[in-house]
Amino acid sequence: MDVKAYIESGIIESYVLGMTSAAESAELEQLKRQYPAIQEAIDAFEASLEQSLLSDAKQPAAHVKAAIMRTIELENPAQKQAPVIPLTRLRLTAAAAIILLVVSATTNLYFYRQFKEVNQQYMALLAEKITLLAQQQSLQTRSLDLYEGMQIMSDPAVAKISMPGIKPEEGKLATVFWDRKTRDVYVLPNKLPQAAAGTQYQLWAIVDGKPVDAGLIDACNGLCKMKNIPAAAAFAITLEKTGGSSTPNLQQLQVMGQVNG
Amino acid sequence: MEISRKYTESELVQLLQQRNQPVFSYLYDNYSGALLSIILNIVKDETLANDVLQEVFVKIWKQINSYDPTRGRLFTWMLNIARNASIDTVRSKSYQQSQQNMSLSDDTQVTAGGVEMNTDQIGLRKIVHQLREEYRILIDLSYFQGFTQEEIAKMLEIPLGTVKTRLRTALIQLRSIIKP
Repeated sequence: MDVKAYIESGIIESYVLGMTSAAESAELEQLKRQYPAIQEAIDAFEASLEQSLLSDAKQPAAHVKAAIMRTIELENPAQKQAPVIPLTRLRLTAAAAIILLVVSATTNLYFYRQFKEVNQQYMALLAEKITLLAQQQSLQTRSLDLYEGMQIMSDPAVAKISMPGIKPEEGKLATVFWDRKTRDVYVLPNKLPQAAAGTQYQLWAIVDGKPVDAGLIDACNGLCKMKNIPAAAAFAITLEKTGGSSTPNLQQLQVMGQVNG
Repeated sequence: MEISRKYTESELVQLLQQRNQPVFSYLYDNYSGALLSIILNIVKDETLANDVLQEVFVKIWKQINSYDPTRGRLFTWMLNIARNASIDTVRSKSYQQSQQNMSLSDDTQVTAGGVEMNTDQIGLRKIVHQLREEYRILIDLSYFQGFTQEEIAKMLEIPLGTVKTRLRTALIQLRSIIKP
């Protein structure tokens, strides 16, 4: 290709002045990459055109620049508004955070008080439950003892020996239940007042006319289990010093009953 | 007017593309006069030309990111924006109507294009004015008025080939005139 002729065709000037068609521009842009002389010619014309036009400038009206600068500032609001918005947001965020903190703290205090109160109520209920459980256990034990006593009393093999009060102890009453098979002895203190301090009731079996120790009567539920007595004609209760005696104090004879048959 | 070269062209472009307002102010101070000259060559009315100049600089600011240095100098790019904006203004309906009203009321210099201020002694037209009449009219119609070569051939009733040859000669002569 004749580069010199191409350069001298006026295409360079047309291109720089913006008078070429799209096809002509595309062709020139391709050729200038291929031939440095074309690029140089373009550069040279651009430079001389710029120099020539700058040297013959016309002063614009004074208000034009101010109007332009005002317009571009409006077109470019990011610089001015950018710091304002985050600051407002920051304040709003901080205010919201403080409000949330106060609300949260108040709620926490409220819930803590509720918790404390409920916890106290729970502890009280727990103590009450333990007490009730203990009472229930003792009642159960007593009920079992009573049931056991009833079983004994209703057993046909068990003899019931009623022991009314002996003068001057009329009005007192106790009952002996004696199992003829096992020879176990039980006593029910029906109407025996609480023994005075330092004293204790003692049961005696009368065997061949002589009193035999059948055991001390303690506080018991229903029937009190006494010593095993193989044979006896009668039973009696005396009031003895605590711990019992080997021979009964007949001055303190309380009740007495004969064994029938 | 001698331009104080504070920035290289690539620095200028880079700073403008970063939306640097002081550099844009510098650009205006150094190039607005040359661009106003080309606008006046086309628009002719001084008040209107200043309005167009304002529009051109706002366009430069908005479109600076689309400027591609491999396709030419920054000034060439700005010059083309100014020329296109001026031709668009002249071709607008409102401009055409104002020209007709003026031609009815005023006894001013009337040419084929309407009422004109004589801007032949400004900028590029001053250079073009040094060309012979047959070349000058081709540059006027194609560059300052934006007609295609086909349109010019029809308007002047000369063959398209002749338009092409004469325009080429005109441009080569133009180049030799402005060559420093």
